[in-house]
Amino acid sequence: MRTQNSLYRIAIYAVLITGVLIILFPLYITLITSLKTPQESARSFFALPGTLYLDNFASVVTKAHYFTYFLNSIIVTVVSLTCEMIVVPLFAYAVSRNSNKKYYRIIYLLTIFGIFVPFQAVMLPTIKLLSRTNLLSITGLILMYVTYTFKKGAFLFVGFLQSVPRELEESAYMDGCTITQSYRRIVFPLLQPMIATMIVIDGLWIWNDFLLPLLVLNKNSMQWTLQLFQFQFKNQYSFDFNLAFASFLLSMLPMIILYIFMQRFIISGITRGAVKG
Amino acid sequence: MPRTYSKAENRTYVLYTIPTLLLYGLLFIFPLILGVYYSMTDWNGISQAQNFIGLENYRNLFSDKRVVNSLVFSFKYAVSLVLIVNFLAIALGLMMDSKIKFQNTFRSLYFFPAIISLVVVGLVFDQIFYHVFPRFGEFFDIEIFKTNMLGNRDTVFWAVLFVSIWRETAVPTVLILAGLQTVPVEYIEAAVLDGASYVTRLRKIIFPFLVPVLSMNLVLTVKSGIMVFDVIKAMTGGGPGMTTESIGILIYKKGFQEYQFGMASSLSFLLLAIIAVISFVQIYALKKKEVGQL
Repeated sequence: MRTQNSLYRIAIYAVLITGVLIILFPLYITLITSLKTPQESARSFFALPGTLYLDNFASVVTKAHYFTYFLNSIIVTVVSLTCEMIVVPLFAYAVSRNSNKKYYRIIYLLTIFGIFVPFQAVMLPTIKLLSRTNLLSITGLILMYVTYTFKKGAFLFVGFLQSVPRELEESAYMDGCTITQSYRRIVFPLLQPMIATMIVIDGLWIWNDFLLPLLVLNKNSMQWTLQLFQFQFKNQYSFDFNLAFASFLLSMLPMIILYIFMQRFIISGITRGAVKG
Repeated sequence: MPRTYSKAENRTYVLYTIPTLLLYGLLFIFPLILGVYYSMTDWNGISQAQNFIGLENYRNLFSDKRVVNSLVFSFKYAVSLVLIVNFLAIALGLMMDSKIKFQNTFRSLYFFPAIISLVVVGLVFDQIFYHVFPRFGEFFDIEIFKTNMLGNRDTVFWAVLFVSIWRETAVPTVLILAGLQTVPVEYIEAAVLDGASYVTRLRKIIFPFLVPVLSMNLVLTVKSGIMVFDVIKAMTGGGPGMTTESIGILIYKKGFQEYQFGMASSLSFLLLAIIAVISFVQIYALKKKEVGQL
């Protein structure tokens, strides 16, 4: 019985470690290739680099405007999330405190309906509309992200707010607080855990998204996000794959660093969001 | 009973809904209606000329070889992804939940692919298929690795699928692991005392508690399978030929590159219908929640 048990355990470790190796394999290749010269890679693809060769990174950063795209991605993600956290909870607050009224019920149903419509199904007319209104820019992209995070966000925030008792707000009203004051002082602070969850889910989506930047920013090369830049970089530098891997690594790096420091927070955010959605 | 609000307060509440509703109306509802109209025209997407042709595009959908091909591809892709990813997620989740060391380390490592952008995952593997695997193939003398699997009609499906599996197994695995924490330890202990085998415990205790998570994972993977876009755009662009042309890729190509805007719009609504059906099944399945609730 004992030996059978430890055999099982060894098998489990073997399978799990094999899985980890498969997961880390592309990362390993990316790392070592980005640190090699083309000659070194030609000699052996899998060996560790002989010397620390950093020219690939230097090329990506200087010649390819890496920081411009990095900054664009930061702006798009931060501004979209900030706008979302300002307007979506307000909407959810109004809906959850007036759920007996027709107007709020209708607009809420309309919003829920939107959750079932994937972006791919409306991308054609949406992009035509953005192009006609001169919104094929970072501004247009941010407006799109706020609109699309609103659908699911409204659902999650309304659900959360319905479980928050109103007594506090009522007594604040007795003390002479207006709706706006009690929202800012009482309700908004209570929303913090929900906001943290939404920042993880939507932040991860916006930062990593490729389809929307491809459609909205493609013609505007100074406004590209990091992910779109990666895609375009493939066509420009297909002959020099060491350079390509260096750019892959640079675009993964911000997320990897964030993940190393906040993995528990990120994993629990995704878990909670998925369970509720 | 909450108090009734004054006129001024009601105005404030309505005001709170305006910013999001404006965005939602202009950038979602309006394009949606516009899309319905476009799908009934023969517009190419650029010219002034567009004629209203009713349901013609919808009627032509199923006689278009590429549309049928993309539907078959996306369904085959989604089914394969669902089966493999969910099997892996359950197996890995159970293994990580057993009494092993470094449980948290394993969890962090297995979740890692989820934080990397799909398009970058695709681009990295594109290079790996091009430069790395052929060297593997030469070295170990494995025929199928010797040429770029993405350029071969017989292997490209599985190559692309592998990349999706690499990326999409992360979240379901972590969700299964979270679901397993909801199984009461006492139940398991009692079953062990009664001499129930591992398989019996799995079937009678563990799986019933996992039903909500499992149905969630199912929907998650079905949707990402049917709507696969980024990895294909990054690796094959739909080729070779039309072997990896998913519905999303075909909408993109017909709409923005091949001047069949009206036709592509009707395909969009077919995709919408498919996703809607899946979503309703999800709601129905989740309503029948069994014992386990996260």
